[in-house]
Amino acid sequence: MSSVALRGVVKRYGQLEVVHSVDLAIEEGEFVVLLGPSGCGKTTTLRMVAGLEDISAGEVEIAGRVVNTVAPKDRQIAMVFQNYALYPHMTVRQNMEFALKPQRLSTAEVKSRIAEAVRILGLDVLLDRKPSQLSGGQRQRVAMGRAMVRTPKVFLFDEPLSNLDAKLRNQVRLEIAKLHKRLGTTILYVTHDQIEAMTLADKIVIMKDGYIEQVGSPEEVFARPRNLFVATFIGSPSMNLVPAVVQITGKSVKLAAGPLTFDAPSSIEAQLRAGQKVTLGIRPSEITLVPDHASGLEASIEVTEYLGTEALLNLRIGEQDLCVQIPASSRPPLGQPTVRIDVDSRHLHVFDTESGLAILA
Amino acid sequence: MTASAREKTLIYLLIALVLIVFMVPIYLILASSLKQPVDMFSQPPKFIFTPTLQNYYDLFTMRPFHLQILNSLIVALGSTAFSLVVGSLAAYAISRIKNKWINEVSFWILSMRMFPPITVVVPYYIIFKTVGLLDTPLALIIVYSTFNIPLTVWLMKGFFDEVPAALEEAAQVDGHGVIATFFWVTLPLTAPGLAVAAVFCFIFSWNEFLFALMLTGSKAQTVTVAVMSFWSSDAVQWGRIMAGSFIVLIPGMIFVLTCQRWLVKGLTMGSVKG
Repeated sequence: MSSVALRGVVKRYGQLEVVHSVDLAIEEGEFVVLLGPSGCGKTTTLRMVAGLEDISAGEVEIAGRVVNTVAPKDRQIAMVFQNYALYPHMTVRQNMEFALKPQRLSTAEVKSRIAEAVRILGLDVLLDRKPSQLSGGQRQRVAMGRAMVRTPKVFLFDEPLSNLDAKLRNQVRLEIAKLHKRLGTTILYVTHDQIEAMTLADKIVIMKDGYIEQVGSPEEVFARPRNLFVATFIGSPSMNLVPAVVQITGKSVKLAAGPLTFDAPSSIEAQLRAGQKVTLGIRPSEITLVPDHASGLEASIEVTEYLGTEALLNLRIGEQDLCVQIPASSRPPLGQPTVRIDVDSRHLHVFDTESGLAILA
Repeated sequence: MTASAREKTLIYLLIALVLIVFMVPIYLILASSLKQPVDMFSQPPKFIFTPTLQNYYDLFTMRPFHLQILNSLIVALGSTAFSLVVGSLAAYAISRIKNKWINEVSFWILSMRMFPPITVVVPYYIIFKTVGLLDTPLALIIVYSTFNIPLTVWLMKGFFDEVPAALEEAAQVDGHGVIATFFWVTLPLTAPGLAVAAVFCFIFSWNEFLFALMLTGSKAQTVTVAVMSFWSSDAVQWGRIMAGSFIVLIPGMIFVLTCQRWLVKGLTMGSVKG
């Protein structure tokens, strides 16, 4: 039985439909990330699961029970909000106690739950402080602690790291990962940051304009994106896109893009038509630098970006720009105008230009 | 003198001028209340004189002034409390409910504050006479509340708008109902707004004269009417009027000084992004 199931879930505001028939199953203990750009419907979907938004159509099921008309407090969920939503007039301890008040637990039980959360999240010295006296990272941990003490069946996170600086984001992200490992509770997490999604998720649900574009593990969505949107959204730096045309001569199937012409991957040859417009996707890390005498393509170096352990080469071949990701130690000397590159066609992603869909084996 | 020193001097001079304009009448009231009749209108005016408490003594012996103070307190505190409860609940509803009618309701409430009070004195007199509430503190509480509630709604709506919806949603997810969330989460965060509303409601109710004059008699008379009762066609008893006026000033000053911290916060809240 799924921990959380969404079946044909739709959200409308008046005549405007913003979430279109979402179907999703989240297994118990799974860490699922709803990923997408702003306005894609991920937060609306999360809020429908939480009960903070009415469901226009479809069903939401939590722990085997349809909860469409069930109040948030009875859904066995706890939520961590983007801006923490800590009660500013209460101390950390009072924030947690207030979260447990409706459950009418004994004083001993309340103390015990708070003590456990404090121990796990390292909040002991913060208990008597008010939120205004805490840093961003501390506030987020307190928000997680306030959610934890309720021992829910499902944790809901709404972009919890978006208000933190880069360094703090890494730290708190690690704490969320540890928390999930320790508690094993189902988590539904919303973010627009693909790094958060890739590092935290067991399963990523990529959304765009209210539709689910692809559901899969981080490895799946990275290695086998289903369409151009997923291909360019996942991966940093973004996948290189090269417009090309299918050329079939006898048994030879080529993907021609001016000076960049590749043999079509054999696994998809049968699905290609002569003259078909396709878009080739090449991850920057899949392009290799080869010696000058080796076979390959010559490209002029536009800009070199040094990132410490790696470097990004921004190249140009004819009218086509390409980004190449290489170890920093391999970067060409300063002033070198060109490099020679090679692409293994097995690493090519081929998309039908008209539909945007990947052409898969 | 540097430009900033000149600016500071100018600002201090302006502050001093404003203080003089506001404090001189209060000084005149206090000084006159302590003067003998012969010193009251002496030319040139006497700044050094032998003070007397006779005016204050007469105030409490010639009239039941302590009862009139009590009436004013009952009316002012009663109207303030009632207006804060009703007004803040109404403001919360207006702030949180989003539909096309809410703006119309909001404007209708605020429009109550716009028409001149004198236009409703006679209707109110007739109504209270009919229901037997003339010359009772309850009549004044009701009347003052019709003016105080719109003010409270207008003030508090802005404060409720500032409370992030996420805080209430967090309480909702935790299991708290709407009422518990309102009282434990939202209302405490709007305490400065409540303080501002309370001060304005109290001062309006305490200082009000017209309705008190028309709707009360001997039993529910308030201090403002009582003070003016020393002004008759036969004689104007300035000393007693000034003594009564100074006593009328005191509760308002105490109230404002007590709520001062909240007042400043409430009047300036939201003006700078924090």
